[in-house]
Amino acid sequence: MKVIRGAVDEMWSVMEQMVGSVFRHGLPLTDKIAARTALTNFVLHIHPVRVRRSWIRMSYTLCLGGLSFFLFIVLTVTGLYLMFYYVPSINHAYQDMRDLQFVVTFGGLIRNMHRWAAHAMVITVWLHMARVFLTGSYKKPREFNWGVGTVLLLITLLLSFTGYLLPWDQLSIWAVTVGTNMAKYAPIAGPYTRYLMLGGHAVGDATLLRFYVMHVVGLPLIGFLLMVVHFWRVRKDGFSGGL
Amino acid sequence: MATEARDRIAARDRVEARRRQAEAPSTVRDDSDDEMIVSFPEFIFKEFIAAVAMTVFLVLVSIFLQAPLLGQANPGVTPNPSKAPWYFLGLQELLSRFPPLMAGVAFPTFVIVLMILVPFLDRNPSRRPSERKVAIILFGLYMVIVVALVIIGTFFRGHEFIWNWGWVLGSPQTCGGAAC
Repeated sequence: MKVIRGAVDEMWSVMEQMVGSVFRHGLPLTDKIAARTALTNFVLHIHPVRVRRSWIRMSYTLCLGGLSFFLFIVLTVTGLYLMFYYVPSINHAYQDMRDLQFVVTFGGLIRNMHRWAAHAMVITVWLHMARVFLTGSYKKPREFNWGVGTVLLLITLLLSFTGYLLPWDQLSIWAVTVGTNMAKYAPIAGPYTRYLMLGGHAVGDATLLRFYVMHVVGLPLIGFLLMVVHFWRVRKDGFSGGL
Repeated sequence: MATEARDRIAARDRVEARRRQAEAPSTVRDDSDDEMIVSFPEFIFKEFIAAVAMTVFLVLVSIFLQAPLLGQANPGVTPNPSKAPWYFLGLQELLSRFPPLMAGVAFPTFVIVLMILVPFLDRNPSRRPSERKVAIILFGLYMVIVVALVIIGTFFRGHEFIWNWGWVLGSPQTCGGAAC
């Protein structure tokens, strides 16, 4: 009996050690424990340990920056799922979309979520910019971070635009034809820019591959790095605080 | 640990004091007396709730609203009208009214550069809305124009991108009379 009891106690303490090695400070019952948790947790360290209540009032931030970042995460996760089933070639792309919609388990739902989250992200990023402008939060010392944010807005648009071609249906090919036609009006560089984007003179197999690579690797990577800088600067420049 | 934490908090307060100075205190509400809270769990919990709400919203929308998928791409058949994605429809609308060099290149470049330069062009140090009426009116005007152009391009441009009072979005795209 004693032996069994001892073994159970031993197992219990090992379990405690396991949980304790992940969550080092237990439940945040006091401010001190909460502060220590935030300081030593990788996910939470993006946030300042202490904030003024007026900085994080939801009626001030509307949570728009956070929602934009969250949508980026949703898009990454759903996009990963779509990538398992999608081949960026004009012979496969459209059929893969049909399969996603009608054959793949949850394929239609995941595709819909990816699509609507992309539209939502364009809107939240845009509204985030409007909020920052209207509260004058771009003013000294946050001029640089406003610039980073502007580039992030452009990257959001480009991500959405490159994704638009991938279903390879009549909507996507002609929308991208119209969109890339705008580039060719630039003096001197215009036609070259368009050729670079399309990988040819018309939207075709090369275009699909280029847009795919930029959509799943190039732009998300640039966007992610800029987001890291953006969040870092929010911390270092300080929250703009309520008006 | 206790001394270390105190040092850390003191350093944080010094940084904040410097920031407040850099920000010209007379033009910003003084918030140094506002309640200070520990961001975990309250702040993080708020963000979590926002994320959950957004997820629920997305799942519900995705269950009831199908993402569009038309017929397979066919370079030989051009739908009429051919439209860019909605966030570029403002640009397409401008293209239909102004010379392409101006609407397609000069104008967007100008807007992007202007946006990045906004903090340096706006010399007014105040952040109070009542003291920056010009900036807010100009920005409001910009927003209204952008939204109006997108709405026009989306809903009121039909065949040949010609003005159409019907809500164009609902009608199927046609390719020379036949539906695509």
